[in-house]
Amino acid sequence: MKVAVLLSAGRHPVSGRGALPRLEAQAIRLAAALGSARGLHAGPDADVVAEALGRGLSQIDHVALAAGADPVPALAAVLRAAAPDVVLAGRRGQGGDDTGLVPYALARALGATVIPDVVAARPGSEPGVIEVEQALPKGAARRVVARLPVVLTVHPAAPEPSAFAFGQARRGRIERLDVAAPAEPAAAAIAVAEKSYRPRPKMMRGAPAGGSAADRLKAATGGGEAAQANVMVSPEPREAARAILAYLRQIGVLAPPPGAG
Amino acid sequence: MTYALPALVFVMVALATVQALRRAAWWRLGAAAPVAWGAGLLALPKRYLVDVHHVVARDPYASRMHAVVASGLLAATLLTTLAVLPPLGGSRAYWAAVALAFGVTAAGSVLVGARRYPKRPKRLSGGGFQILPFLLLAYAFGGLAAALLLALGVESAVALGLAVALAAAGGLGLAYEVRSGPMRHAVAGALHLVAHPRPKRFEGGRPDAALAPLDLDAPRLGVETPADLAWNRLLSFDACIQCGRCESACPAFAAGQPLNPKRLIQDLVAAATADERAYAGSPYPNARPVAAPAEPFFRIIGPDARIHPDTLWSCTTCRACVEECPMMIEHVDAIVSLRRHQTLELGAVGAKAAATLDNFRGAEEPGGRPLTARADFAAGLALPMIGEREVDVLLWLGEGAYDLRYGRTLRALVKLLHEAKVDVAILGAEERDTGDLARRLGDEATYQQLARANVATLAKHRFRRIVTSDPHALHALRNEYRAFGGDFEVVHHTAFLLELVEQGRLTPGALGGAGVTYHDPCYLGRYNGETEAPRKLLDRLGLDRVEMARHGRRSMCCGGGGGAPVSDIPGDARIPDIRMAQAAETGAGIVAVACPTCTAMLEGVTGRTAEVKDVAELLLAAVEAGR
Repeated sequence: MKVAVLLSAGRHPVSGRGALPRLEAQAIRLAAALGSARGLHAGPDADVVAEALGRGLSQIDHVALAAGADPVPALAAVLRAAAPDVVLAGRRGQGGDDTGLVPYALARALGATVIPDVVAARPGSEPGVIEVEQALPKGAARRVVARLPVVLTVHPAAPEPSAFAFGQARRGRIERLDVAAPAEPAAAAIAVAEKSYRPRPKMMRGAPAGGSAADRLKAATGGGEAAQANVMVSPEPREAARAILAYLRQIGVLAPPPGAG
Repeated sequence: MTYALPALVFVMVALATVQALRRAAWWRLGAAAPVAWGAGLLALPKRYLVDVHHVVARDPYASRMHAVVASGLLAATLLTTLAVLPPLGGSRAYWAAVALAFGVTAAGSVLVGARRYPKRPKRLSGGGFQILPFLLLAYAFGGLAAALLLALGVESAVALGLAVALAAAGGLGLAYEVRSGPMRHAVAGALHLVAHPRPKRFEGGRPDAALAPLDLDAPRLGVETPADLAWNRLLSFDACIQCGRCESACPAFAAGQPLNPKRLIQDLVAAATADERAYAGSPYPNARPVAAPAEPFFRIIGPDARIHPDTLWSCTTCRACVEECPMMIEHVDAIVSLRRHQTLELGAVGAKAAATLDNFRGAEEPGGRPLTARADFAAGLALPMIGEREVDVLLWLGEGAYDLRYGRTLRALVKLLHEAKVDVAILGAEERDTGDLARRLGDEATYQQLARANVATLAKHRFRRIVTSDPHALHALRNEYRAFGGDFEVVHHTAFLLELVEQGRLTPGALGGAGVTYHDPCYLGRYNGETEAPRKLLDRLGLDRVEMARHGRRSMCCGGGGGAPVSDIPGDARIPDIRMAQAAETGAGIVAVACPTCTAMLEGVTGRTAEVKDVAELLLAAVEAGR
């Protein structure tokens, strides 16, 4: 299976120094399980993604772009030519514009299926198919079988990235690709104002605006719900099963019954 | 028949030489290393008689035993060769002297036997070593009998023949053992003292403990197979006599982690020798299963190689084994060079260690914390940043500054510096981590980057000397940065505070006779030879100071060095628990520490009865009491 891993010029969240985003390092590890992988970076400078060479990639293709240029047309052109079966990417950049839209825009350009938040991937039981595990909210996960090509984004719960190995980074190669990306009208620059980060209290969904601290705590921890929990004393098995199913549907673990709309 | 005994000795010497040369061919398989042969040869007597015996003498029985048997064996053998000179061969007085020498050897051989029989101490190896006393006894008593017969002028060919035959059985056995048996330690040990990879350690002064920088452009980084080790390192492993002093000193061994320095050295020998005899000493505690391939010069580390990675990562780099080794073997150098290959070439480090190394690379700090937050502990204290002006003292805060507990120690230190009106400043956000932990975890690339950056930062500023409370930072700044162009005067806070007290700039009162015992940090005591200043300081505080059984340069590690806390190899016990139990044996209510890592490790012990206090905290309490 041919795999391409998209690499972005990230910044370390604490120091602000150039660093490979953790999700992309995890993507390299997922890619290693699928087949031969190459990295792909579009941007002014490839040195910032050289760290990926020490994480298990032996080759990175670099498309030179002016700083601030939209990378999607260039990436799409390269990927159309290379035609990988799987494109792996992080969820969003780290320290750049961070829109998180690149995987989706690429999938549209390539006509590929996009599966977000993947924690594991392996070749499917028949050729041309991939089996992935996708993370869902609240720790749930589901298995998805998709036809290739696919664009996968990686969830933080994917396996830990492999440790950086300086010797491997030293041996890896960065190859410069000259791509004539179709000129697209440049999007109007968005006026951005920068100010330093100020921590703010987290708003809790559904929390009562007023009331005592105890009330708010109750609301936050579900203490109120527990009081009116549905307690059934030696119920009929069918009745109990129905109640459990209803509860599982209510919290979204089970799909709603067919025909429920 | 006069010539039978000298003939035997010549055959023995020839056999020993052949065996030694066979072994030397093996040493030559190692990598090249620069060796100052002339200086080494000249220094050999001093290195042997002073440095080796200084260590050997810590076990008085072994010391006496070795002195008697080795000097007897050498003297008897050398004297006997002189029998080829005609006037001597016929002299009964000469043979009496030979008999005396063999008599000394015999006495020594009895001592060797008595040490191993009837019950062999646990730390000694069995196997070939259990046969050694018999070979020595046969050679010594055979030689003694033959020399006595000649000295007394007894003309009995049968008796002399029997005596020489007995001596031959022992002597030829000893000579044969030079290649792979216990007698290897004599030849390899002498050569090792000449070609020692760290000749500076014999020159007196501070211990030579700085790791050598790795050439990051080398085709292969670190040690993968024994062929990557320098030839004189292979030689040094052959010097091992398997006395097991290292294993009794090793904190990881004591805690039941799968490390035994003696076994490690023997595994390194066996990893390169196809027909090495089976190891017969104590194993790695809770040894992890490995499938050792029989072929020599295979890679050393791995579950499918000779040494399991857990063994490698159990080491705290405390150098207790190096300190105790009578053969002057450098275990820690070998461990770090093996780690370098694992980390740099294979990326084979534990998940927690990998995260720490990522932090080093990304944030220049092992905890991934902002450098600007390093001085947060000093909120409310006046602690100026270094500027254009030259200051007397640059205070290097180190990693401990981020720790809430250790912040109290640093606050005490800063208050003391203010009290003594010391002109002090800090680097603030310009202070990166020294990279010591990255280096001990084998990440030499990140370490060198940090070292160069720190040296460049320090070169920008003007200060007279650096004071730090972190012995790991002290060792890096003082000894290991030298290779990167950093030449600074670095003082540990205990030494600096003692200076202030001696100058009368601090006047401590008395703390009322509380019991205190001082725990030596490895990187201050063993790595830098500084054991006295903290003790002198404690003695001025009116405390009742008692020593633990293991103290000074023979102290036991707290378990926090060498990345052991992030490698986190499970064992039967925790090293700090063992150390605190040793402290509790003294009955002292306070354990005085002088290192952020020791503070964290020892204070993390559950159910401890003693308080853990830094020397600076105790001094501040005394100064405040004296007001």
